[in-house]
Amino acid sequence: MSELSSTPTILLVDDEEMVVNSIKSFFAIESDYKLVTYTSPQKALEDIERNHRSIDLVISDYLMPEMDGITFLAKVKEKLPMVPRILLTGYADKENAIKAINNVGLYQYIEKPWDNEDLKLIIRNGLEKNVLLKQLEAKIREVERAQRELSEVQKDILRVFA
Amino acid sequence: MSKKTQEGELTPQSIQADKMAALGLLVAGVAHEINTPMGAIHSNNDNMRRAVAKIRKLLGPQEQEVERLFDIVDEVCRNNEAATERIMKIVHSLKNFARLDEAERKEVDIHEGIESTLTLVQHQLKNRIRVEKQFADLPEIQCHPIQLNQVFMNILVNAAHAIPDQGTITIKTLKEGGNVKVVIGDTGVGIPQEHLSKIFDPGFTTKGVGLGTGLGLSICYKIVQDHNGKIEVESSSAGTIFTITLPIKDA
Repeated sequence: MSELSSTPTILLVDDEEMVVNSIKSFFAIESDYKLVTYTSPQKALEDIERNHRSIDLVISDYLMPEMDGITFLAKVKEKLPMVPRILLTGYADKENAIKAINNVGLYQYIEKPWDNEDLKLIIRNGLEKNVLLKQLEAKIREVERAQRELSEVQKDILRVFA
Repeated sequence: MSKKTQEGELTPQSIQADKMAALGLLVAGVAHEINTPMGAIHSNNDNMRRAVAKIRKLLGPQEQEVERLFDIVDEVCRNNEAATERIMKIVHSLKNFARLDEAERKEVDIHEGIESTLTLVQHQLKNRIRVEKQFADLPEIQCHPIQLNQVFMNILVNAAHAIPDQGTITIKTLKEGGNVKVVIGDTGVGIPQEHLSKIFDPGFTTKGVGLGTGLGLSICYKIVQDHNGKIEVESSSAGTIFTITLPIKDA
């Protein structure tokens, strides 16, 4: 988990200041994550675009005036396909929420009012999964390169014996 | 939503169904509105507790007065936690009671419905009435959960009204052949014999104008009938027992 030791950056979007602030406080007390927060999903997207930020995990509210959390996370997925996405929602219609979740491929779905300890655990697991995925991706690239080299060698050998 | 009679009139049952549908929408909105600030309070209270624990650890042992104030803050956090848990449970039960995501029939655990309903009538029971639950191991049954919850609600509220001071409500569930039975008994004043045959009639009330609607039990009767079940009542001066029999697989 070497990549976890460098401070991960988490992007949090919720139109309610009180939600953003309480999660900010929690992270300040219990973690050394860098937390970037927005009350506007549009501004959050602009930030991702403009600053080419390295973001390790995204948490979004569901019901927001500009765009809902599913739409926001779908746009995040286009820009940052590897980053785990978490939906934090107080919305009561669970079945429809879950349907939407399956469409965008979320890492997790958390209901408000959330439990801080659960949130911490989910975030930690999400970050770990992301690191593992990155490592897996690197390994796949390595294997592909090795395979390419091997087939070059094979060609050389065939050429010699031809 | 309303089923009209052939003459196009609204029946008391269809009006009630519309009311419940409206209630469901209202509950959905209220639950969302409450859950957001509730989430902030719940989380911040936990933040406060964590921060104080850290301050305490950093400072080490302090003089008596400081320790006493720290203890007060801890106690406040514990109290807030219990209070927020209570609100969260009520909102959860409201959502469960209204079963927003399922307007239609489906297989459900009726114990869940009974528990949610109990939370919602808690204010009528307070410390006055003890609730004794004897739940059997039941299969899920095919039903219209929001309607059945309404039946439980009606009977439980009636039971609470029938008990003047202290008393007990017993809720027993059992499986009998292809049916489940829910038996709700109270230690209240009982229903006079001459009323017993009329209590399921629409408009029959003994509570007087403004207290009961006189529709509650007739609607319960209709709902249970729609489920191909039956509802029976026995009563004496020692109390009243309602027995609801419901088929597990609806015919």
